[in-house]
Parts: sequence; C-alpha cells; structure tokens
Amino acid sequence: MPSWQDFQPFIVTGLALGGVYALSGVGLVVLYRATGVVYLAFGAVGAMGALIAWSVTNAGGPGWSGWLACVLFAAGVTVGYGMLFGPALAKRDPLVKATATLGLLLVLFGTMDLLWTTSGGESRALSLPTDNSGFTVGQIQINWTQVIGLAAGVVITVLTALFLRHTRLGTAMRAMANDREITATLGVPVRRVEAAAWLGCGVLAGIAGLLLADMVALDATTLTFLVISSLAAALIARLRSIAFTFAAAIVIGLVQNMLVPISSLSNYSDMTPFVLAAAALLVLVRRRVMTSSREES
Amino acid sequence: MPAGTLARTAVVTVLLLFTLLALPQLISLYYVDTMTQVGIYAIVALGLGVLVGRVGLVSLGQIAVLAVGAWVAARLLFATAQPYPVVLLEAGLFTMVAGTLIGLPALRLRGLYLALITLMLAGAFSIVLATTNFPNGGHGFLGYNGSLVRIPPIRRPDIASGDPAYFRYTVIVAALMFLLVLAHIRSRPGRAWAAIRQSESAALAAGINTTLYKLWALALASFITGVAGGLYAGAVHYIYSIDFPAQDSIILLAVVLMGGAYSLWGAVVAALLLELLPALLNNWGVPADWLTILFGLGVLQVLTTAPAGLADQVPRDLARLGRLLLGLLRRPASAGSEAQ
Repeated sequence: MPSWQDFQPFIVTGLALGGVYALSGVGLVVLYRATGVVYLAFGAVGAMGALIAWSVTNAGGPGWSGWLACVLFAAGVTVGYGMLFGPALAKRDPLVKATATLGLLLVLFGTMDLLWTTSGGESRALSLPTDNSGFTVGQIQINWTQVIGLAAGVVITVLTALFLRHTRLGTAMRAMANDREITATLGVPVRRVEAAAWLGCGVLAGIAGLLLADMVALDATTLTFLVISSLAAALIARLRSIAFTFAAAIVIGLVQNMLVPISSLSNYSDMTPFVLAAAALLVLVRRRVMTSSREES
Repeated sequence: MPAGTLARTAVVTVLLLFTLLALPQLISLYYVDTMTQVGIYAIVALGLGVLVGRVGLVSLGQIAVLAVGAWVAARLLFATAQPYPVVLLEAGLFTMVAGTLIGLPALRLRGLYLALITLMLAGAFSIVLATTNFPNGGHGFLGYNGSLVRIPPIRRPDIASGDPAYFRYTVIVAALMFLLVLAHIRSRPGRAWAAIRQSESAALAAGINTTLYKLWALALASFITGVAGGLYAGAVHYIYSIDFPAQDSIILLAVVLMGGAYSLWGAVVAALLLELLPALLNNWGVPADWLTILFGLGVLQVLTTAPAGLADQVPRDLARLGRLLLGLLRRPASAGSEAQ
C-alpha cells in the first residue's frame, strides 16, 4: 500500500479532472432537462475543437485564436445539430434522441481520423500557457491549469444554478424540463430556449475539450469517449440535479486518480466512472426512482 | 405451405448453396477471409437486431459480448482438446449466463438507461480485457504469457483448417443461428416480443410475463453473439484487445439500424456494410474513415426518415423508381393520345 505522500499529487490531478467532468456533466444535464437529449457526441465535439485549436496554433496563430476556434466550432456544431435534428426528433423517445447523437459522434469521429490521421505514430500535444507556472502547497506541485480545471467546474456549476433559478431563460428551461407542450402553450418560445440550451452545452463541450486535451491527451478516441466519464456523473445524479452532478464528478475524478498509485488496481483505475455509474443505476432502480413524469410520457 | 413462403425458402436455399459451393471458388483468399468475417458479424448483428427490432432494447455492449465469447473460446481451445462445436456451444452458454445475470437487474431500467448501462459495462469490460489480454497459449487461469516467443495460433476444427473450408463452416453455423432466431420469432417468444415492443403495459395486461421474455431475448442474443465470438477466435488465429475498439459497438448499432433491425435480411446487410465495404475500400485505397462518416449520416437518416432501415427502404425505393420509370415510358404515349 502506498503512503499518504504518494497519494498527494493524485489528489490534485483528481480534483482538476473532477472539475472538468463536473462542467461537462452540468452541460449534459442542462441540455437533457431542456431538450430531453443525452448528448453523446459531447466528447467528440470537444475533441475536434481541440484538434482545430492544435492546427491553428501549429500554423502559427496566437494561442487565444486556437482556443476561440475550438469553442466556436464546438458551439457551432452543437447548435447546428440541435436546430437541424432537434425539432425532427422532439416527439420521439429519449432513447432515439440519444442514439441520433451517436450518428453525429460517428461523423465527427470519422472526420477527425481522416483529417488528423494518427497512422504515422506521431503524437500531438496541446499545452496551455498555464501548465508551466504554478505554486506548491506542502510538497505538492500545482499548476494553474489544474486550478482552472477545478475552478471552472465550481464556477460553471454555481453560475448554472443561479442562471436556472433567477433568470427568465433559466425559468423557461426548467419549465421545459417539466413539460414541453404546456410550456409552449404558456407562450414560451420553445425553439429559442432549446437553441440557448444547445449553445450553452456546445460552449461547455469546447472548454472541456481544451482542458481535457491538455490534462489527458490530444487524441480523438480518448477525448471522444471521455464523455462517458462525465455522463457517469450525470447519471449518478439521475440527469436531474446539477449539485449532485458536481459532487459525483469530483468523487469520480478523485477515485479514478487515487487508484493509480495502488499498483494492483492501477490498470483498472479508468474503470471507475463505468463501475460507479453502473452501480448507481442499479441501486437507484431498486428504489424505483427512475420513473419521472418526463420519461413515462 | 403458402406459395410466398415456398418461393422465399427456395431463394434462401439457392443463395445458401451458392455461398457454400460456388462463392469460395470465385473470389480471392482475401475476400474469403472478409466473407468469413461477414458471416461472423451477421450473427452479431442478428443478436442486436433481435434486441433492437423485436423487443426495443438498445444495447451498446454487443462487441464486448463478442470479445468475451472469443476470450472463452480461445481459452478452451488452448486448454482442452474438445471438438470445435462443443467449444462454440460453451462460449455461447457462458455469454448467455453472463448476459442474463447482468440483464436481470438492468432490465428494470427504462430504455435509455438500459442503453447507457450497457455502454458503461462495455467500457469497463474493454479495460479489463486490455489488462488481462487474450489467451495466447500461456498457462494459468488467464492463459496469457507476455514473454512467449512463438505464439501458437488458435486452432480450427479439423474439417475446416483451410480458409475456404472455415468460411463454409462459418456460413453453416451462421445459418443455424439464423434458424434458431427464426424459430423463436415464429413461435410464442416472438409473439410476446412483438406485444412488448408495441406496448409493455398492454403486453403485461394480456398476461405476458414481460420480464421473462425480455430476459429470454437478452439470453438468446448473448448466446448467438458468444457463438460468433467462438467462430471469431478460429478465424483470426491470434486475438488482441485492440481488435475490439470502443467505437465498434456504436458502429455496430449504426449498421444494424441502417440494415434494418426488423428483418433478418437486415443482419446480413449490416454485416456486409460493416465488413465487406471496408475491405473493398481498402482494396481501392480509400480510407475507411469515409465509412464511419457515412454510417453516422446513415444513423441520422434512418432515425429521422426511415425507421425500418435499408433492407426495407431500398426495395421500396426501387419499386417506386420502377413505377416512376414506367410512368415516364407511358407518358409520351398517353400524352399523344390526349392530343388526338
């Protein structure tokens, strides 16, 4: 068993990763509540955004132009998808809506493999300027990117909670989560509210893509399927509460990273989100809390 | 037997005989191997088709089931001298029991959650497989020895050691699996599944044990996918965990939806899309990534406009095209007659 000293750096990386999972998870939950779509292409959109950012900076563009391109791309694709396929699938089962986003995932995945081919064995890296500076607490090195990861998670969660509670648009989104038809009858511009939800989710996908490309790897497959970790957090929160999503994401990030120094479990640490989410789903269904009015309809 | 059924049986028999006797003679060894994979993946697609098309359950973990079937078969083939069909049966039974045990609690989840839990479990499984690796003739429970210099190939049945012979073997096993599924669809379980797909509450009210029949479908799909895994082990001789990447389960769902989950032909179409098309493109020097993009667009198209898939849509579109052409041919004549 490794000593407490060995765990300390992994607590830092765990919190940072958990923060990014949290901001992705919050994006997924808000979109699901407003539109009924589980956006499985979240990771793929962020991945392609990060690859675009890499290309922009590699071509000599300043760093900020790459980050901007990443977020703009993610937001554009997400809103475009939402506007194109959202209305057509609005009345279908949540399962069909989620499956359709897998179509988008495949399109983006194929495009990434085609444009940023990995066959030559070349590896890419996207590093943010905040990687190289930081501070030490005790004996642990902490860089600013890790601070940004956790801070982004906290800030996004708090801002989203305030937004949903105190703004007109946020109230409309919560109303849509309860009943789309009645909300429309009350005169809420349903399409526009949905577009706003897609936009928010897309921007978060871009930010998450940038941060994860820096913290984990700039690799299409890895980033595309990291969405599953964020989704695990959202599922543990039953795709409802953003506070629970945040807490679950931090726990997943922490557990996943703190298994790394334990040699017998190190190889299995990436299973954490899957196992926790599967266990949570199975426990929740025992208590029969999975059936909300929305899913019954 | 009604004339339609008779004609259909005759067509299937002729096609099967052609595939068994003539096809391996006509194509190169490269395509014989490809067609063997088509046979294997037709079974996998059939399993997912039963779940999606018959019962309305979406599983994103079928490739993991295939990998487990292949693992079990490879382990048994190295460890024992059992005849190949017995190993296939054992691999199928293992995945059937495993699938049922996982399905028992998961079936209480509603559609979307069931799909997501299969995605989670498949993700967890692929990490386990990446760590344990596939058996390569080593000893111990896992049968993997990383420092082995000469890795022995996974054996094939004695009667089918060559590639064309193994292709025929695969086709026969696949045909048996299709018959097994057909027998289910034509009898009591098939009717129960149809009722469940229409409305679970109505099926329940009609006295159908919905949990039993959903579990039955899961067991059947897991069984045939496990058998397909056994066939896979012999077909490739050496298995690595990178042969089952994470995106494959998603691509499988895409081709099954495109092929058409409601008909048995859909499974064959799906397997051709999944295995033959990449092989053809590879031969022509076109990157297979175009296919991934195409499959993604296919999913979106199927879900928004053509829920029954290509196996249903193409014949209908062709019939429509035929009528259109006929109409065009007739029009000048009729237009002429109107003028008079």
